[in-house]
Parts: sequence; structure tokens; C-alpha cells
Amino acid sequence: MARAPALVVEDYSFWFRIPMGEEAEPALEHVSFEIEQGEFVLVLGRSGSGKSTLALNLVGIYPDYFGGQNQGKISIAHPERGLINRREVEPGERFQLVNMLFQNPQDQIVTLSVEEEVAFALENYLMAPSEIHPRIDQALDLVGLTGFRERSTMKLSGGEKQRVALAAMLAMQPRVLILDEPTSNLDPVGTSEVLDAIDRIRDRVDLTLVVIEHEVDAVFDRADRVLLVEGKTVHGPSDPRRFLDERGLEVRDGLGLWIPQAVEVGLELREAGIPVPRIPLNGDELVEDFGAYEGSIDNAVLAADNEVHVARREPVIEARDVSFAYDEDAVLKGVNLRAYANELLAIVGQNGSGKSTLAQMFNGILTPAAGTVLVEGKATTDYDFAHLVKRVAYIFQVPEKQFIRNTVYDEIAHGVRTLGLAESEVEPRVEAFLEGLGLLDHRDRSPYVLSHGQKRRLSVAAMVVAEPDVVILDEPTFGQDYHQAQRLMQLLRQLSDQGAAVVFITHDMRLVAEYANTCAVLSDGQIIFEGAPSELFDAPELLARAKLKAPPIHAFSRRLIGTSLLDTDELCRRLKEIYDAKTRTGV
Amino acid sequence: MRKLELAFREAESPFHRMTPSSKLLYIIGVSFIAIFNTNIYVAVGLFLFTLFIATFFTKVKLRTYWSLGKVILPFIIILMVVFPFFYGGQATTGSDEIAIRTPIRDLTWADLGFGWLLALRFLALGIAGLTFAFTTHPSDMVQNLSKRGWDYRLVHAPVLGLVLFPGFIEMGREISITQRIRDLGQDTNFIKRKWVRMKHLAFAMLVLGLRNGQTQAMALDIRGYGAHKTRTFMRPAPRSRAGTVFGWTFFILSIIYLVYQWSPETMQWNMDFS
Repeated sequence: MARAPALVVEDYSFWFRIPMGEEAEPALEHVSFEIEQGEFVLVLGRSGSGKSTLALNLVGIYPDYFGGQNQGKISIAHPERGLINRREVEPGERFQLVNMLFQNPQDQIVTLSVEEEVAFALENYLMAPSEIHPRIDQALDLVGLTGFRERSTMKLSGGEKQRVALAAMLAMQPRVLILDEPTSNLDPVGTSEVLDAIDRIRDRVDLTLVVIEHEVDAVFDRADRVLLVEGKTVHGPSDPRRFLDERGLEVRDGLGLWIPQAVEVGLELREAGIPVPRIPLNGDELVEDFGAYEGSIDNAVLAADNEVHVARREPVIEARDVSFAYDEDAVLKGVNLRAYANELLAIVGQNGSGKSTLAQMFNGILTPAAGTVLVEGKATTDYDFAHLVKRVAYIFQVPEKQFIRNTVYDEIAHGVRTLGLAESEVEPRVEAFLEGLGLLDHRDRSPYVLSHGQKRRLSVAAMVVAEPDVVILDEPTFGQDYHQAQRLMQLLRQLSDQGAAVVFITHDMRLVAEYANTCAVLSDGQIIFEGAPSELFDAPELLARAKLKAPPIHAFSRRLIGTSLLDTDELCRRLKEIYDAKTRTGV
Repeated sequence: MRKLELAFREAESPFHRMTPSSKLLYIIGVSFIAIFNTNIYVAVGLFLFTLFIATFFTKVKLRTYWSLGKVILPFIIILMVVFPFFYGGQATTGSDEIAIRTPIRDLTWADLGFGWLLALRFLALGIAGLTFAFTTHPSDMVQNLSKRGWDYRLVHAPVLGLVLFPGFIEMGREISITQRIRDLGQDTNFIKRKWVRMKHLAFAMLVLGLRNGQTQAMALDIRGYGAHKTRTFMRPAPRSRAGTVFGWTFFILSIIYLVYQWSPETMQWNMDFS
């Protein structure tokens, strides 16, 4: 039965503020779609495709608050007046009908305690305190934060902050809520907390959810329909399975979108000519369609690509009994860790576990309070800082913080010059590097005006151009689409093959599974595991202790073939072998 | 990342029950007396009074006062040691008998007393300031001033500052680290390098600060910030008649003392502008 529309967009176009004399290029063009009341719509699109711009237009931030021009019509469902043009509602009332949760919880917390944060909008809309209090309790209950009313917002974890921000939106009782990558800043447990809260909301409140998300493994099968933002316009919304059925692997390989691992396997098998009854949206459906493994479970994890090198040389970096505290808060407690040349080491752990603090000791940004960090056998404290940072490159999560020059060319040239090359050699070298990164056309532009993916690649390139022995990256693929992430990780693998030790901090367990040779788990300031990712994912008690989660393939491959795998290609190969054997024997 | 802790301490005390305006009157009163007082005995009395208030009327441990107050201790010691050498004899702080002979200047008891006067002045101000900070929830101040006719967006700004400041400082720290890592200004001398780095830091923080600020402004707008001229407050406002009487009484007494002090003969600096 068709439900009433909650949001209707008709032939809508939007232009950012147009500089004088320039021809207008729309950011969104002829967008039309309709979302029904109570639906969960997943918005897909590569980085920079305009997903957030669309969301901000749906809410009315653009053009009403931050300028720009628009054409077309957006209608929203009003509880008393039915479907009405957004223009007929005052902005204040409009935000109580359609609202939005941003990516970074830090950007939207504006008060000092949880209850004040949830009450903030209600107070602004002049609600009486007697009505505000029950709404706070109800909203906190919905996001699973009952008992958090009095807490300071400064002392919450990332996941808790995002749930408080979500509660603040829910307290306004909007009809439509747009979530812009609500889990992208969170560790796996924080992500689960937010997704559980979303499930609880859907069970108990008639709310339409529009979710923009790169972390698709957890949300794809929750979505009623998907909306694709591509080429300044919007396709859909369509049924997720039909969308995948029609577009196939082009979604990942052509559009550059992340797709769930179970979907990848289903589409790969179909591509290989194996009959696939339906495109599986999650591991359960995959196992249902291909049959559960009935033999004995093999505990030996087969992940050839991820095996730890047996014959290792001396470590390039070694942390020996390293401890560190901020004021009186102990962050690291006797940490021992080694990083080797030709290897990618992933450091994982929940938010606040000390990952970045540890990594910042590797190039002398921080000095251990106790213990030693050795770089090629020599303590970091014995190095000249300028010399050490040339050998150990550190790349922050936010690329803009790395930029120190006015043009893309100068960003790279700065690093090349530190090699002491003659000026005549600098330009060809920089240009070759820019060409390899696909940034040559942007050589004279400011680094700040590049797209997010380009900024990320530039920030990495600017650091690795000086040929360091060790490259450390904080969340290397944060906010990037499939293509951008793959390109960056290939670059890191190349550096590793050329002899560098690559250390990356991440919450993305798929990345760890696919690229890391070794991973180290930090929990409560201590390394509780160091070894191959496959061993970690096979130790549920360790994962629980560190509040991590194995990528979905680890569980469903075990149920399908009796062995846990981390690579979709390998699983497809195994399933194909099984299928071929069955076809031959006619079973 | 280093955590910035809010000074407010939740407790049930006479000062917690006082309105922020009454406490502001107390602070202003202490400031008037401390700044314009020239008598060492009054300075001792004021210091003891603020300490008495902090000890018995705030339900905050003195150890907590000490943990924040120790930050200004070096400054106070500098005042005590350095300023006696510049004392011109305007205050009632001791006799003219030589107390200590130094290679720079022989110091009288009055000179030393002047050092003490300055130290006690800032100790009294520090304790009174901490009393206010420990017992006043920032939102109560927003509410109190807003109900007195101030624009709530204006008075909420310090609260926003408290929330956003740690992230802004962290951003500056990371940019500075990047400058060191990438050796910005590598081919220049020390002073020019500092200048180049300072310019870049200001620019980068401006660009990133504006970008973050835009998102934060959106987050405020979509929650009706500024949608109406006033707002309601969920948190019950602190109210105490005794506190109001105390605040006003102290403020009026300080004004009386100020009037008593307002004379070129008794002020420690020349107040005769003719």
C-alpha cells in the first residue's frame, strides 16, 4: 500500500552564489523525486557529487541562510495542512518538519550538558519548561542514553556525542530527518550504537529517514529505497535490490561507490556466470541463497595476502615500554610495538584509546613520559627534530592542516627542495609527481579549493615526496569514495613495496582486512594484540575487549565455506569452485 | 587531545543559590576595594574575607581552589619581589625603617608592605573570581542576563566559546606541528621564520575556523537559534533573597570605601588630572 508523501521535490535546480561576470553552473539540476512517510532512504553518490548540497537544500539552509539561487519546488508534509510548498512555512517551523544531523558531532554540540543540548532547540522555539522535560527524557530514551541527562557534553565519547546530537533533533519531533554520514567519525562500537538508535527510532516513531552514508555494509539492508546523486541530478529512489540488479558492478567500478561485501560477492558471482537468485543485501541472504556449509569448521584463516612476513629484518620503528599522560590522564601504559620496512601496519582501537598519541611519538611530535621510541635503532630524543621528521612523515586526518603553501605546485616543490636537489631538477620532478596524482591541471590553484579526494592525495604526496623511511597516516580513507580510497591505498602499497614502513590509524576494518600486513590493537592505553588481521578477526573476545568488529565477510564466508576469509575475490573463487564441482557431479 | 574542564562544580551552597548578578555585584565590589585600597590592613582583611566566603559558603574544597589558583602564584610572587623596588611611598603599608639592603636599592618596611599589598590584592581577586566560576553554571548566567533584557545570543556567546575553544586550540596545535614537520620557512633566519609561520598559522586558522564556523552556524540555525527574540529556559534559575541582599550590601560598601579612598593624598597613584 502506497504511503503518503513526506517530501516531494519537483524539477529543482540550485546554484551557489554566482561570482560577477561568470556563467552560472548549477550544483543541482532538474532534480525530481518523492519520499514517502516512514521510509528509510539511503543516499548514494561519490565524494563531491552533491549529496550534502542536496541535503542542505532539502532542509532549506541553502538558499535561505547561506545564499545561492534556486528554481523548482520542494513540498513537505505538514501534520495539519498536508503537503505544502516549503515556502509557505516559516523557517523556524520548517526545521520542526525537516531537519538534519551533521557528520561531525563536534560541530553541532553547542551547550555544556546533555539535557541542555537536547533542550536547546525547544527553548529557542519558546516551549514551556514543563513540556521540555518529558521531551528530553523521551528523546534520550530513543537513542539509548537514559541516565545521561546530567552528563557534561565535554566528557562524552564520539558515539555518545552523535547520539546526543540525534536526540536533540528527535526532541523537535520532525517528520523527516536527514542524517549526513552520521557514523563517519565513529569507531565500530560508536557506529553500532548510532545504528541501534536508528533501529529503535524506526520501531517506535513514525519518522522518515534520509541517510547519506559511505559505510554501506551496515545500512544498505536497512534501506527501503536508495537515491543516487550523480552528474548534478538525482536518480530514484529505487528499491535497493533492483538498483543493484540493474547497475551491477558498475556501481562500484564505474560510479566509484562503496557497496556491502555481501553485495560484492553476489555481483561478482553473477558476473562469473553463476546463477544468483537475487542480489544478496547482507551475509544472511548470501548464506540463505548459497547454502550453509555443512562440514567441520576450519579454524585456520586463509588470508595469504595478509600473512605476516616470517623473515623480518630489524624494525624501522620500535616502541619500548612507552607511557604517556595528558595531565593526570594516562593515555599510554607501557606500550611495546614494532613497525617494519615493506609492511603496512594498522593501528586500531576505539576513539580515545591512544592511537594518535602513540603515532605522534614515532616522529618526535610527542616524547614518551617513560620508555623509548627507537627509529632505526636510535631513540627519537637523540635525533634532531628536523632530521627525524624527514625520515618519518606524519599525515593528519584533515588534509587542510597540512597545507603550508599557496599553490598545489609549491606544496609538492617544498618537499622536493628538502632533498637538496638543484632548482633545475625540482620542476620536472614535481610535474611528474603531479601527473601521477592526476593533479597537474590544478598546479597553480590553491590547495584549499581542491575537492576532498584531491586534497587528501595532495597532503599525502606533499609528505612522501621527500622519500621518508616511514609514513604514518591518520584515517587515510576518511570521507572518500571507493575509487579515491583504492587509489590512495594503492599508493601506500607502492610506497611499502619500495621499502617504506607504512603505519595507518583507522576505524575501517575493511581497510585493515584488505591492506594491512599486521595490525596492532590499542585498548585502554595498552597493546592487547599484535599480529595478522585474520588472527584478530578470529578472536571474538579480543574484538569485544577492544570494542571492534570484524568486517562482515569474516562471518559470512565462514558460514558459507567453513573458513573465514577477508577477501571477496578469494571467497568468490572458492564459491565458484564449489559450484563447478557441484555442476560436474550433478549434485 | 588535552581536555579543557569546565570550572563549575555542582553543589548545594549559599553561593550556588545566589543569582549570577548578585555574585557579579560581589565580584565588582571585591575588585573596587582590591584595586583602589592603599591600606595593608584592609588588604589583609579583604583577602581573609574572600577566603572565608570561599571556605564556608561555596561547598568547594580549598584544594580545588588551589589546583586552579596555583597558576597565578608565580605572577603574585613576581609582584611581591619586583614592585617594592618601584614603590613611591603613596600607600599605608609600613614604616620607613630599612628592612633589607640590596645592591639595587635599600627596601623599607613600607616598600615590602607594598609588595604584600599587591599580592593580597590579586589573591583576593583570584579567590573571588574562582568563587564565581566554581558556583555559577554558564547557562545560569545566560538565563540571568537574558531575563534582564540582554540579547540571549550575545550572552550565550561565552558558552559557545567554552564549548568550541578546545577544538580551535587543538586545530592551531596541529597546524603548528605541521609547520615544524614541514620546516616552513626553512631557508630563512630565526625571526623571519617565526614571522612566516605566524602569518601562515593565522591564515590557516582563519580559513579552517570560518569553515567550521559555517557548519556550527548551520547547526545553530536548524535548531531555531535566533528564531525568536527571546527563549525559554529549561533549567530552573537560581534564586536567593539573602544572596541578593548580600551582593547589593557588599557592592554599596565597596562604593562607600571607593569614595573614601578617592583623594590624591590617599590614592597610590596620582588622581589629580588638573
